Amino acid sequence: MKASLFCNAQYMGSAPHDIWPLTGKYYDPKVGVESFQIALDQFRLADEFGFDWVTVAEHHYSPASLSPNPMVLAAALCQVVRRAKIAILGPTVPILNPVRVAEELAMIDVMSGGRLVAGMMRGAPNEYMAYNINPAESRERFAEAVDLIRRSWTEQEPFGWIGRYYDYPAVSLWPRPVQNPHPPMFMSASSPEAGEFAARNHMGVGFAFTTVPNAKKSVTHYRNCARAAGWEPAPENVIYRAHFHIAETDEQAFADMATLPPRVDLTLNNKALKEAVSKSGYYGADIEGQTQRSATRQLAERIELGQIIVGSPETAIKQVRRIRDELGAGVIDLFVGVQLGERTMRSIELFGSKVLPHVHEF
Amino acid sequence: MPGAMFGEGFVEADGFRIRYVEAGRGDPIVCLHGGGGLRLTPAHDLLARDFRVIAFEMPGFGTSPENRRTESAEDLARTMNMAVSTLGVERYNVMGTSFGSKIALWMAILQPEAAESIVLIAPGAIRARDGGPVPTRVSPEEAAKLLFAHPERQTEPFYLTPELAAKHAALTGRLIGPARDAPFEARLVDLTHPVLALFGTVDRVAPAEGAHLYREILQDCYIMLVYDAAHSIDADRPEALASAVGNFCARKDQFLVRDTSGQIYP
Repeated sequence: MKASLFCNAQYMGSAPHDIWPLTGKYYDPKVGVESFQIALDQFRLADEFGFDWVTVAEHHYSPASLSPNPMVLAAALCQVVRRAKIAILGPTVPILNPVRVAEELAMIDVMSGGRLVAGMMRGAPNEYMAYNINPAESRERFAEAVDLIRRSWTEQEPFGWIGRYYDYPAVSLWPRPVQNPHPPMFMSASSPEAGEFAARNHMGVGFAFTTVPNAKKSVTHYRNCARAAGWEPAPENVIYRAHFHIAETDEQAFADMATLPPRVDLTLNNKALKEAVSKSGYYGADIEGQTQRSATRQLAERIELGQIIVGSPETAIKQVRRIRDELGAGVIDLFVGVQLGERTMRSIELFGSKVLPHVHEF
Repeated sequence: MPGAMFGEGFVEADGFRIRYVEAGRGDPIVCLHGGGGLRLTPAHDLLARDFRVIAFEMPGFGTSPENRRTESAEDLARTMNMAVSTLGVERYNVMGTSFGSKIALWMAILQPEAAESIVLIAPGAIRARDGGPVPTRVSPEEAAKLLFAHPERQTEPFYLTPELAAKHAALTGRLIGPARDAPFEARLVDLTHPVLALFGTVDRVAPAEGAHLYREILQDCYIMLVYDAAHSIDADRPEALASAVGNFCARKDQFLVRDTSGQIYP
């Protein structure tokens, strides 16, 4: 099993995290600079302590993440992180230009010497407002964009694309990815529709900030669909993402994580967005499952359900092993949920030095 | 119903009585059907808004008598050149679908001055290998899956009687030639016409993986992938096909440069 450090380049100053979009009046440029420096330091430390991957993602208009374009952050990481793979999990594909996404990912793969892990995300529904895209079209746009991105990487000759949502007279990528035929592709598969799509298209899957029971249902569905499509996913095709914090003792770790704010779904927290998105069909058939994973829970329940990896190194080993055993996941994607300065850096060191060697044995 | 505005006619050429259907005004687009025979779709209707669309039923297909005389695709192209000329059409865009793509290319080889541009739809003229699936040689259910990305969405089901399927299969089998036809390709390299080749992304009969062959052999060939289309691109994505073909026939290789406004509001 492998481990990744996921850092959102969170804004380290004071700003509300439950309002979207958030006014820029809370933004201090000096804090912005420091926030990126902290994120880069954490990624560098993870690389030094043996993390197999580092992960970046895309979010807009919020202090929760200063990474509206994960490609930019990933490009910086090509120089900062020398060994670990660089996982972009990922661009919110339906709101972007797929040819541009293919080009940028190819650049990252080349600049990193073939270390890219390419996530294709449908994204959180509020993000669609950032670029004025109809969330009702998210699945169709996603399917077409993923096909176009893959072909942009693999078609040698210039080609035009006549899609339903994308129309290009000529595509011919330079540079082309290092990895052959292309970088490994992942997508979120918390919905049944996504699991089916990933299985049909031989993509890996990820489950983020959900619970182990929920993820187990989804990964089982994905594996059944893959079997029906004639292949068997390996553990490295399954990523599980959770908040994490490690300290010398369980007591210290739990005390530190008590400051973790409850998870806020920025769409569901905004009445107008919630109603509009719900009507759009964005959540698909399993609307209950899709919205329930964002339900507010107390820390103890979140630990019990596997939403958080928290404790001493010994406790963390058991928690990660449970994820491996129950889900067959091959990658644990560890999100720094609470920024605690030196204690967060120590958490990364402890995981890398005391937990990771065991994780590699799973 | 697709093709409702098309009128029917007949032309005597090369000893054959050749049926055609026609609609629209403007620059001509001569359409040569695939192995399933002449079948109009909404794509033809859309093209007829801006072009004079002339779709032939080639000798030996459909209701025409069995054709035992034509020996090769080159022969058939010669016949079709005579048919077009007999109609008084001197310059035209030629659009060949599947089997018809080889006839279209031969027409341009034989009378280069007459063809202004060449459009190949799900072409079978050059193939990576012999032995791929052929819709006229399988069951109607399997044929539907080969022809359409979404058979359930087709309002006009495609059905050939077993006798017609056998007649078409025998004729196309005799005329199509090998997957890599060296004498044909040797003539293709001299074609200077702009060529647009459309491939459906889920076509198993003329897979997009073979598209590169056309660019490698033809001097001025543009490949376009039509998303979520199987072998019958005109039935699966009629608006997309009509737009791309119309733009190409009107503007030739300048079609690469967008000339429609992207402005949302004035």
